[in-house]
Amino acid sequence: MSLTVTELPHKEQALFRSALKLYESHQYKKGLKISDQILKKFPTHGETLAVKGMFLAHVDRREEGYETIKRGLEINPKSSISWHVYGLVCRKDLKYSEAIKCYEEALKGDSENIHILREQGQLYMHVRQFSKAVEVRQKLVKLNPSFPPFWMGLAAAHHMNGRHDLALRVIGAHEQTATGDATFGRTQVSELLLYKSWLVELTGDLQQALESLKEIRPRITDITAWKEQKARLLLKLGRREAAALAYQDLIERNPESDEYTAGYLACNGLDIARAEDADSVLEVIEGLQQQFPSSNRLRFLPLTFCTGDSFAKAAESLAKFALRKGIPSLFASVRALYADEAKGAALGRLMEGLATQLRDTQRFSDSTEDEPQSALMWCNLYLVQHHDYYGDYERALSLVDETIRASADTVELYIIKAKILKHAGDIRGARDTMDFGRQKDLQDRYINTKTVKYMLRNDEVEEAEKTFVLFIRDDEPNKVHEIVVIQATWYMCERGHAYRRLGDIGRALKQFHQAIDVFTTYHHDQFDFHAYSVRKAALRTYIDILEWANTVFTHPLFGNVARAAIECYIELHDRKQAGSPVKAIPSPTDTKPLTRNGAAQHGQHHLSAGIDEAKAASVDTDPSGASFVDADDHLAPALALVERLEAAVSDQAETHILAFEVHLRMRKYFLVLKALNALKAIDANHPALVPMAVRLGKALDTDASFAAPMKAALKSQLAKSFGDASIESSVASHPESLAFALAGAKGLLSLGDADAARKLLRQAPSEAYGSTRTLAGLLEAGQLLTKSGASTEERDEFAVGAKKVLPLATCF
Amino acid sequence: MITIRQARVKDLAEMQTCNLANLPENYQMKYYLYHLATWPELSYVAENQQGRVVGYVLAKMNDEEQTPEVLDGHITSLSVLRSYRRLGLAERLMAQAQRAMVEVFGAKNVSLHVRVSNQAAFSLYKNNLKFDIEHTEAKYYADGEDAYAMKKPLAGLYHTEMDSLDF
Repeated sequence: MSLTVTELPHKEQALFRSALKLYESHQYKKGLKISDQILKKFPTHGETLAVKGMFLAHVDRREEGYETIKRGLEINPKSSISWHVYGLVCRKDLKYSEAIKCYEEALKGDSENIHILREQGQLYMHVRQFSKAVEVRQKLVKLNPSFPPFWMGLAAAHHMNGRHDLALRVIGAHEQTATGDATFGRTQVSELLLYKSWLVELTGDLQQALESLKEIRPRITDITAWKEQKARLLLKLGRREAAALAYQDLIERNPESDEYTAGYLACNGLDIARAEDADSVLEVIEGLQQQFPSSNRLRFLPLTFCTGDSFAKAAESLAKFALRKGIPSLFASVRALYADEAKGAALGRLMEGLATQLRDTQRFSDSTEDEPQSALMWCNLYLVQHHDYYGDYERALSLVDETIRASADTVELYIIKAKILKHAGDIRGARDTMDFGRQKDLQDRYINTKTVKYMLRNDEVEEAEKTFVLFIRDDEPNKVHEIVVIQATWYMCERGHAYRRLGDIGRALKQFHQAIDVFTTYHHDQFDFHAYSVRKAALRTYIDILEWANTVFTHPLFGNVARAAIECYIELHDRKQAGSPVKAIPSPTDTKPLTRNGAAQHGQHHLSAGIDEAKAASVDTDPSGASFVDADDHLAPALALVERLEAAVSDQAETHILAFEVHLRMRKYFLVLKALNALKAIDANHPALVPMAVRLGKALDTDASFAAPMKAALKSQLAKSFGDASIESSVASHPESLAFALAGAKGLLSLGDADAARKLLRQAPSEAYGSTRTLAGLLEAGQLLTKSGASTEERDEFAVGAKKVLPLATCF
Repeated sequence: MITIRQARVKDLAEMQTCNLANLPENYQMKYYLYHLATWPELSYVAENQQGRVVGYVLAKMNDEEQTPEVLDGHITSLSVLRSYRRLGLAERLMAQAQRAMVEVFGAKNVSLHVRVSNQAAFSLYKNNLKFDIEHTEAKYYADGEDAYAMKKPLAGLYHTEMDSLDF
């Protein structure tokens, strides 16, 4: 027979309560002691066991903690406290669905426990079970209607559940309660009113939303938001004149905003993206420009929609302005316009002309004043980037060298020169040039960052790290650890790729996983705000946070590292299957993390709020990534990443190509076919498609363990979608595309036909492939050639051919 | 060229990237999130033609030690990528943040800290943005370096007229 807390003697009851308090104040070791004290007298007291388990889990004895909690629950399976404690530990370990189950159990014994209900509501928000969150929060409002956060929480749950009308009703009902606005400060009241008025707009009642704006204005502190909504509503309601005034008002506050300009144009019935509006748009923009002559954005906008003479005129005025001021980003700003061939050519002519004028007279032809000396340098730098854009690296380099001779101290010149060398395939030269620029301004982190990246591209992992940590806080004893703490994902990503090129898959995977973990942390970061934002009544930002959290894994860098990690796992698997498993590479540098005995840790640091979570162990127990390499199963972690990519970026071809590779190795043939079909739906002419289909067919033919009827079904579907296409025919159908040749070679290699693959790959530098012979394509061809067992002669012959395509390249 | 607009949560990852590329003081995502969740009106980004964040101002109110009547704004971090300098982005970002500090919170001043060794940043604040040194805070940074505590009065800089309600 188990005792509940209330059945314990008074002294132990008091101890139990103090243990719970210690948990709330994060004093886990003390709490552990106290629970042991109770257990000494009552060793089978279930609830104390559960609480002890919770403390254990918080002092890094997680397994023991779970066991102890479970033991407590066996003794007293109906205890609400024990289930609650179990839920808290699951939540701490980010096991949200398990936590929810625990909370559901906890509520069975204590259905009106406000603490439990509140946390349960947060968990439902976190896992996006919004209708459940609504249920729980309705209960909370009923239990304590005078507590505003309960109303806010309910409104947010309705909102995310797609019921803006119900959210609105909740906010309205809250206003009617006795407490109403009284508990909130001025800015919170304003925030809440704006949230309400946004809800009215979302329900489609625009007129009502507009009316409410008038009424609330005196209580609004976020004037910008109020003005924006007013302008938007007037425009949506077709009140163009009033809307134009409202947008004019906003533009006066911020003439660099695209949204405001677009709104103002819309009031005139104009759309910047509509070609036939161009003349009228130009007229309006020029009018605005006169009113706001300092706006860079308005000066630039005409270039995006004007063509012909008016484009030339706008470009000339922008270029002269930029050259006079020495704006380094001129080319970067217009780069997107080069997609329009005529605009690219016009810009080239314009800048050549201006360079000539400056060189000859130091003036623009329509001016009587001398321009600054630097104008010609910036003009040349533009032309350098222009030539680089068109792949004319030699011309770009000769001009940048000439410019450097005239102004040897301008760091920007080295940054651009390094970039050209990178494009041209001279990776070593690019790195040296960037580093040379860095030496000219050692205080500047931007060029330091660039140099580190270029060093990593040149596979100099250690040198890059030494350079990177120059800007890591001096007080941090373990600088490598600090890189993780500050979430420098770009660095982890580049470093991982460098290790991979060096053949160190263990360290590569370690880096990729570090970056992946940062994204997981990002996703988890929303958790605090389920409580915080609701308490602050800051619901507009809260909704923004939830929507952002939904897209965390669509970040390009996450895709990059996840795909790279999957490829590493596939390589580990394949090497193991082939009987030559990869081994982790230990190295002497492992034992000495890069440290610097910084200054004593005193003085307040205003960043502490940013690093409060840095609890991860500073000692790296697996520097070589051996745990990844030595794992029994390499496909399971690969599959987990594939599934994450499928959930986040199913619109990307790469996702399905990797899903194919992993499922094929797991012999999940229906999923393999699914991946193929998904790829086909994205791009029916994808170079990898036919080689993949052929590989599936072959796998089905050779897998004797797969049931015949299913095999037949799959084969017939495969035939229906892809007929009897072969890799050879796929490659032959696009004789001018290196991408098709590479995909074909990869397919052939996978099928074990190295000879045929090699034959294709040796041709990669040939004229037939024209402009598809990119640096990346040729590099890949070179790697595959090595993989296909090419002889030294064949390798050399390839290098000579590739050098003909990219004469400056040093990487073949 | 560059658009300037209020920062949204979806911009924070890029702001963090921009910060990491440019400045020695770096923060975790959660710290950025707290800024926006608490003072969503104060932070702004500069975005280029490709939609990439090339500069930002991350700002807050000094609410700890001060009484509500004399709330000051504070710049946590301000940064523009080197390749996007000389466009006046820092000034423009600051102007937006400062106006919001005044309008939303009635700020009288805006303050910030800068490492005494950071000449480039100091000159930006002093000469371009018109901040003055309030005092030097000894060992403000965890590595022992001193900071200039700089301040700029906002009184009279931004006027908000009551909007006409006739619409």
